[in-house]
Amino acid sequence: MDGEFVCVLGPSGCGKTTLLRIIAGLEEPTGGTILLNNKEITGPGSDRGMVFQEFGLFPWRTVRKNIEFGLEIRKVEKEERRKISDKYIDLVGLKGFENSHPYELSGGMKQRVGIARALANDPEILLMDEPFGALDAQTRNLMQKELLRIWSEMKKTVVFITHSVDEAVFVADRVVVMSARPGNIRYVFNVEWERPRDRASVEFASLRKKILAELEKETVASH
Amino acid sequence: MEPNTLGRLKHFLSHDSERGLLKNTTIVIVSLVVFILAWWGLSSLLHSAFFPSPYEVGVAFVDAFQNPDPTTGVTMWQHMSQSLVRFLWGFAIAFVLALPLGLLMGFSKVADTFGRTIVEIFRPIPPIAWAPFFFIVAGVFWGPIMPVFLGVFFPVLSNVIFGVKSVDPLLLDVAKTQGASKPTLFRKVILPSTIPYLMTGIRIGLGIGWMCIVAAEMIVAQGGGVGLYISQMSLVGKYDYMFAGMVVIAILGILTTELSGYIERRVSRRMGMK
Repeated sequence: MDGEFVCVLGPSGCGKTTLLRIIAGLEEPTGGTILLNNKEITGPGSDRGMVFQEFGLFPWRTVRKNIEFGLEIRKVEKEERRKISDKYIDLVGLKGFENSHPYELSGGMKQRVGIARALANDPEILLMDEPFGALDAQTRNLMQKELLRIWSEMKKTVVFITHSVDEAVFVADRVVVMSARPGNIRYVFNVEWERPRDRASVEFASLRKKILAELEKETVASH
Repeated sequence: MEPNTLGRLKHFLSHDSERGLLKNTTIVIVSLVVFILAWWGLSSLLHSAFFPSPYEVGVAFVDAFQNPDPTTGVTMWQHMSQSLVRFLWGFAIAFVLALPLGLLMGFSKVADTFGRTIVEIFRPIPPIAWAPFFFIVAGVFWGPIMPVFLGVFFPVLSNVIFGVKSVDPLLLDVAKTQGASKPTLFRKVILPSTIPYLMTGIRIGLGIGWMCIVAAEMIVAQGGGVGLYISQMSLVGKYDYMFAGMVVIAILGILTTELSGYIERRVSRRMGMK
């Protein structure tokens, strides 16, 4: 569904990351095809933006130049590039850090650059591979809220991979639970609550418990 | 992190490094004084023409720059510029060949195995051992340049190869998802990632190259050169001038190392690799 926020959960080794990398075109599927708007994916492309767990910022580029990377490749005019990067710097809350280098930024700020860079190409879909996995718990919670704010402004389809059931229930419209090897889709939970969601609420806790139980079965099965 | 916290941290660090710098400078000065005193003491103890005192060497040093010496007919300035011209030629040729070759060998497994076999045959031979051969086949101008070329070539080559192989695969993935083609990957990811390694190769190469030029000149040079000057002064028995020539080499060597170290640090910082 367009503009949907999908989370993929699964025991480690089930191929969550591989699935995402296949969608991104970084790896080839051993069988089957993946369609984006009825077109088969054959390789990487800027119609899919990807955010990586370890940020992957170019250390020699400033925040602005990191965000403009894809635009540069597509030979977008300098003024136009600047307009676009300004927009996304603003969106992710990095105003004042345009000319900083990655080593001057905290983890949370680095991932803000990562998100802005993925969005700057105006992709059809945003792929996020455990984007907050390298952050501390507090920054992680903050970044989840920030991501939801950004998503509500951009209305992009998001495929978000995580280990954290809590994170999935907090952000997703749909939570997909994958089974252990071979990784199949085992269960889909629809989460239709309003945002922002209350982590302390009873319904939140009960859904989390349900998903955890499903995951546990998979983890046991895989051992 | 809040910007002002970052600012304060930076200020604290710079303050701290200033104090460290002061302490270091003091130690360097003390060390230099101890060195000169030891030299002085030893030379007056031995009282030998082969081992002049720092004062005698200092006088010879000043004189060598002011007056052309009768054996070679030129001043130390010209010896220095001769050595420098040879050095720069050797360095330039090595750089121009080692960079593309290193990039190719970093990329291609075949080129790497092929090239490495040949490189490993040549590497154990000290560049200076080639000097007599180069003198015969390349003449008095190019002869002493070739050892410099070899001295610079290998460190630059192996560092560039290492640099290409050390490119973060994550950055390549990122660039691919941003729509980068292979030439773009090379230009915008691999090349910039390699630059700090290239700089390390250059710094090491400069040090080795400088030693090569002086040694090669002692064997084969004509017309001038600091190495030639040293061997000439020793032949005519002007040991104070011979030592002055060695001091010139030391000073130039320190300057080269400091300069390349400074450039390397600046570049690494610019490339975000603190």
